[in-house]
Amino acid sequence: MQSIYRMRRRLADDAMRLAIVAAFFIFMPIASPYFLNMKNMMNILQNISLQGITAIGMTMVIITGGIDISVGGVMAFCVWVSASLMKSGMPWGFAILICLGIAAVCGSVNAFSIGVMKIPPMIATLAMMNMTRGLQTVISRGTTLTGLPDSFQFIGQGMVFGVIPLPAIIIVVLYLLASWFMKRTVMGRNIYAVGGNPEAARVAGIKNRRVLFFTYIACSMFATIAGIIFISRTNSAPATLGTNLEMRAIMAAVIGGTSVTFGGKGKIFGTFLGVVIVGLITNGLDLMGVSAYYQQFIQGVLVLTVVMLEAIRSNHAARKH
Amino acid sequence: MDNKTIINMRDIVMSFSGNRVLDGVHFTLREGEVHSLMGANGAGKSTLIKILNGIHHPVSGSIEIDGVPVRIREPKDAERHGLAFVHQELNVCRDMTVAENMYIGNWARDAMGLYDRRKTAQNAAHLLEMMGIDLDPYVTVRNLRTAEKQIIEILKTLTRNARVIILDEPTSSLNEKEKENFFDIIAKLKHQGVSIIFISHFLEDVMQLSDRVTVLKDGLNNGIFTRGSFAKEDLVTAMMGRSVENTVYRPLDLTEGGPLALELQHLSVERKFSDVDMRIQVGDIVGVCGLLGAGKTEIARAIFGMESITSGKIILFGEEISQPRPDRMLAKRVTLLTEERKLEGFVPLLSIRENTTLSILKHFRRRVTINLDAQRKRAEELAASMHIKMADIEQPVGSLSGGNQQKVVIAKCLASLPRLFLLDEPTRGVDVLAKLEIYKILRKAAEEGTTVVIFSSELEELLANCSKIIILKKGRAVGMVDSNQVTKNELMAMIG
Repeated sequence: MQSIYRMRRRLADDAMRLAIVAAFFIFMPIASPYFLNMKNMMNILQNISLQGITAIGMTMVIITGGIDISVGGVMAFCVWVSASLMKSGMPWGFAILICLGIAAVCGSVNAFSIGVMKIPPMIATLAMMNMTRGLQTVISRGTTLTGLPDSFQFIGQGMVFGVIPLPAIIIVVLYLLASWFMKRTVMGRNIYAVGGNPEAARVAGIKNRRVLFFTYIACSMFATIAGIIFISRTNSAPATLGTNLEMRAIMAAVIGGTSVTFGGKGKIFGTFLGVVIVGLITNGLDLMGVSAYYQQFIQGVLVLTVVMLEAIRSNHAARKH
Repeated sequence: MDNKTIINMRDIVMSFSGNRVLDGVHFTLREGEVHSLMGANGAGKSTLIKILNGIHHPVSGSIEIDGVPVRIREPKDAERHGLAFVHQELNVCRDMTVAENMYIGNWARDAMGLYDRRKTAQNAAHLLEMMGIDLDPYVTVRNLRTAEKQIIEILKTLTRNARVIILDEPTSSLNEKEKENFFDIIAKLKHQGVSIIFISHFLEDVMQLSDRVTVLKDGLNNGIFTRGSFAKEDLVTAMMGRSVENTVYRPLDLTEGGPLALELQHLSVERKFSDVDMRIQVGDIVGVCGLLGAGKTEIARAIFGMESITSGKIILFGEEISQPRPDRMLAKRVTLLTEERKLEGFVPLLSIRENTTLSILKHFRRRVTINLDAQRKRAEELAASMHIKMADIEQPVGSLSGGNQQKVVIAKCLASLPRLFLLDEPTRGVDVLAKLEIYKILRKAAEEGTTVVIFSSELEELLANCSKIIILKKGRAVGMVDSNQVTKNELMAMIG
């Protein structure tokens, strides 16, 4: 009985988001016969994998009460390094390890500025964004790298059972893992405690700095993993890689119910729904043949609408409490 | 008492998700009276006040102001009717001056319509003088003491022509001297025909100030008392539904020279306190008292590693601690209950289960995950032993009443089975019954071998619970007294 009650309460948090997703599945098939096509579904999952995987780390960072706007730059820099290493003949496995290592360093620098030097997260990661973007521009000189190893391209283009793209599986698995991690491990719960009340966490003996280091490193690494899948899928690393990635990840987290005004509130599953909603909007507009010129504007309007509906709902809930 | 009635709340019913928190409550306020509102934590005081402020909307019932039925939909409506609220958490702009804060939003304008700094300050100076308060209107609020900030909040309501001022726990952070000043100000306000609703847990203050007292219990009116016709015990009985014998504990008898739990040698923290010596025996309950700024909080925090020590030694159970840090001290089974419950005590969005086990989370690790069943079981035991009133162990702590939040924080401290338990103002903002329960819990912990040190400005609390009391004055420990051989007044003279 109690578990049913808890389940209901958990779903109630996401009621608005689930309703929006459901609305898409009710109305889109009427608007376009291609929508329910298996291929289209998989397409959506594949298209959201870049911002989707980045949004996992972003959600964790926002839950600690911070923000990381350097993910786009860090991802672009690290991925560019690994792409050029692959081109120069290094086995792609090594190249990926090296670029994840660089991502970890970038994340540590962010965490050091924020946790040790007490620099506001927005400023610290803004600096990191400029540094990494700058370095990426230096090494790429505005060119696009193509012709990555064939075996590497499997990560982004491979099919499982002939229909399911590998990136779709990776994103689902990473979300399941992250959701479990945040709910059930000591570090996951510590992230919530540090975000919900950093002083109380410190008094309770939680090492806040360690939690911040973990979170910012994880955030940089998730973005880089997303970037690797992306270049593998498109077989190219353009100079504009990861532009606006941070904003799209933050948007997904916010639509997913993560609070950017105070820490400690948010769920990985909510972010997943947020990412899916953005993916459905884009896909819907594409299928209905809306010109790309209008799409960005319409997306903005829809996102604002979703966030406002959520705000109305949560203000209402807060009042009742 | 034939003054006219300003506010008349009748048959107020309020329920949250099917739970009736107010069940037909009446409340009236006459012109120029101080009317206190009392009740245990969770009796419905704050709900009633929030209805008056337009934050909650009653299910049924009526509110009349000056005999005219009104609907208060939002705080703006309350303000229009001349009601002003001074909350426990002060809302001052810390980097503006006293004058700017007092007139916030209605600053004086010059001929060009621009902000006139001098005229605003003059107006403020005039009002300060009228109320007999010695404060420089040009001073930045950041540099003021809490008591002074509170006075500014009260004056702010006057600059908005408030006829009714609602004060929520205004005296809880004031010392005896500041309290006297505060009472003077209240008397002056009354004289000007301002009516006051006073919400407080401090029986003495309520007795001294109120013309009438309304007591709520479990969402019902449970007595209205008029000045001179009741005693303190009547209020307690009305609040608790039974008389609570004032347990004056006989402090613990401990022979001198037992093993020491904590010894401080010439401990100093720059600009906070200096050269403090303390010797506390194992299993003892010791109090530390002093005025605001005497260094109580700072010493407690320094021992727990939350202030950086400039010189001196901390010796814990015979072991010298060179660099205390909260996580290291917890590992040595020392725990601190901090003064600022909301700021440092708990994580409001997390459940009772998670908050009570916050500092022992690692103990529930089963391979990589947390063993939820074990965690829930331990949290339920803790909640039961503390008598925490809750709907469910999964309820977020932010939604509990103040007294219950404090119990959660104490439960969190005791969960780590401390050898040394430091408490900074353990019963601030907590009702009488919860207070007694907390004392009982501390006694039990002491009997089981925990050494308890209470840092408090409530002298009665220390006298009733501690065997010895250490006296602080301006950042120095000036003496230690046996609490059996000292009265409250003597103690007050020593700290003053």
